[in-house]
Amino acid sequence: MKLADHCGQLLAEHGAREPRLRVLDGDLADSDGAAQFATRHPDRFLMAGIAEQNMVSVAAGMAEAGLLPWVFSFAAFLCYRAYDQIRVGLSQARQPVTLIGSHAGGLSGRNGKSHAAPNDLAVMLSLPHLEVWSPADRGDVELAVSTILAAPAPSYLRFPRTPIDEHGLPGAAAALRWLVPPRPIVLVSTGLASRWALSAARRLAERGIEVGVLHCLRLRPTGALAAELRDARRIFVVDDHSTFGGLGSLVHGLGLPATVTTLGWPQDFSGQSGNDDDLRAAHGLSDERISEIIEAALAAATRG
Amino acid sequence: MTLEIARSPMPLPEEAALLRRDIVEALYRTGGGHYGGSLSVIDVLLTLYRRQLRVDPAKPRDPGRDRLILSKGHAAIALYATLRRLGYFTDPLTDYAQFGSPLEGHPDMTRLPGVDFSSGSLGQGLSVGIGAALAVQATDQQVWVVLGDGECQEGQIWEAAMLAAQLQLGNLHVVVDHNRFQEWGWRRPATGAQPPPIDQLADKWRAFGWRVLEVDGHDFDALERSLGAACSAGPSVVIAHTIKGKGVALIEADPMRFHCDAVTAAEHAAIVRSLS
Repeated sequence: MKLADHCGQLLAEHGAREPRLRVLDGDLADSDGAAQFATRHPDRFLMAGIAEQNMVSVAAGMAEAGLLPWVFSFAAFLCYRAYDQIRVGLSQARQPVTLIGSHAGGLSGRNGKSHAAPNDLAVMLSLPHLEVWSPADRGDVELAVSTILAAPAPSYLRFPRTPIDEHGLPGAAAALRWLVPPRPIVLVSTGLASRWALSAARRLAERGIEVGVLHCLRLRPTGALAAELRDARRIFVVDDHSTFGGLGSLVHGLGLPATVTTLGWPQDFSGQSGNDDDLRAAHGLSDERISEIIEAALAAATRG
Repeated sequence: MTLEIARSPMPLPEEAALLRRDIVEALYRTGGGHYGGSLSVIDVLLTLYRRQLRVDPAKPRDPGRDRLILSKGHAAIALYATLRRLGYFTDPLTDYAQFGSPLEGHPDMTRLPGVDFSSGSLGQGLSVGIGAALAVQATDQQVWVVLGDGECQEGQIWEAAMLAAQLQLGNLHVVVDHNRFQEWGWRRPATGAQPPPIDQLADKWRAFGWRVLEVDGHDFDALERSLGAACSAGPSVVIAHTIKGKGVALIEADPMRFHCDAVTAAEHAAIVRSLS
């Protein structure tokens, strides 16, 4: 099961207790998680048609009138197709609509570049008043959904296409979670890439290099991110996102004493058909390559 | 408490004349603006607020209110003049679009009481209206959306039109301010002809499954009847045939020049004379 499906399932459960909840979908309910809610609460599900701009503004109108709308689609069609509607209706008008973007990041399976969203964070993190979440396991999704329902705010949740809900990451869900305890060298990651970072950290440990791994579930507001990273001497951001505008840029902007290197999709990468492993290997983002790059960078710094 | 229509203490033509003077004064004193589209839509806005909308200006966010979304947000000063007259706020209209004023250049629901939804980026208000209409569907509350005819070039309008018809929303009503001009348009200098922003506007709405009513957008009695008739079944669109710059001879004669512009002191004097 994909994490977005889990999100739909959770909403279906909350729907039994929260009559204001609504789910809108742009005709991708069987791929983006909305089907879980649609089946259970058909009277509160709106198939809004293949018209994402309209769908986002409809949700904004619902929110103004007191409902709690959650909008499902692929990240690409929300973040890019409906960006102006998000800007006006959610960010500027400050309406508590939650956007669920499936297939976020650079991996879109066989769909290829038209369906990929390798710079979704760049566009969403730059909108005022929009809260941004990037879950990596079921616990993350549960925390995000319950937090938003308790205090509705304009929100974007990005979900990977890759089904990763079978195995939880170490530790309990939190806005910021150390998957491996802090060390002078820290890998910072979010969403699917937190699995890449964890795997790289384990490879490095096998080679005698101990690194901490900080997983960021909540990217806006950034909360205690700077405080958590203040003692780091060297930071590597591992991101399922363009190296520009994602978590890497966010961490750079914190003005920390540590040197920051971002490992993400190259800036000329728009997305491509293919399985996750092939795409990651082709762009230097395989677990093996990530650990090699980090090891080489550390060795160079020691020599320097 | 049941909300009621805020009826006018005077005949609508007289009240509209006052609002027109407020509009041109505010625009002149703040450096110009959208004269044409504000003067074309003001009679529609006034009639909606005085004959249809059940609202309480003292409780602008009352969840039980009817709603009016001015999707053609560039006519903000016309909305502000109407809302101020109804008592939603007391800020002077001559603060329009000045730094620090809640009377933003385009309507901002987070700043000004009475603005039911923010607008300015064209084409989004009808979709917002669908959301509001769905939210209050179980009540007798009505949702009105005022569009510009140029605005109907936005694709999102027709996405929304399709969905509203699909959902058979009976409490959603649209008025199109069909003043037949837009900022630049498809000018034909050789003939001086200016085709309207959207040709065959009524046919297009009908083709999208809407009930269409057409009316003279400056005839208050006819407007009142059409708006009332729009409520009987939906979704309905009232195409209000209007005149860009209505009431000001100078602007009516050259609507392109006054779509959005500043005027000279002499022109302002002529404009005010037209309205006296």
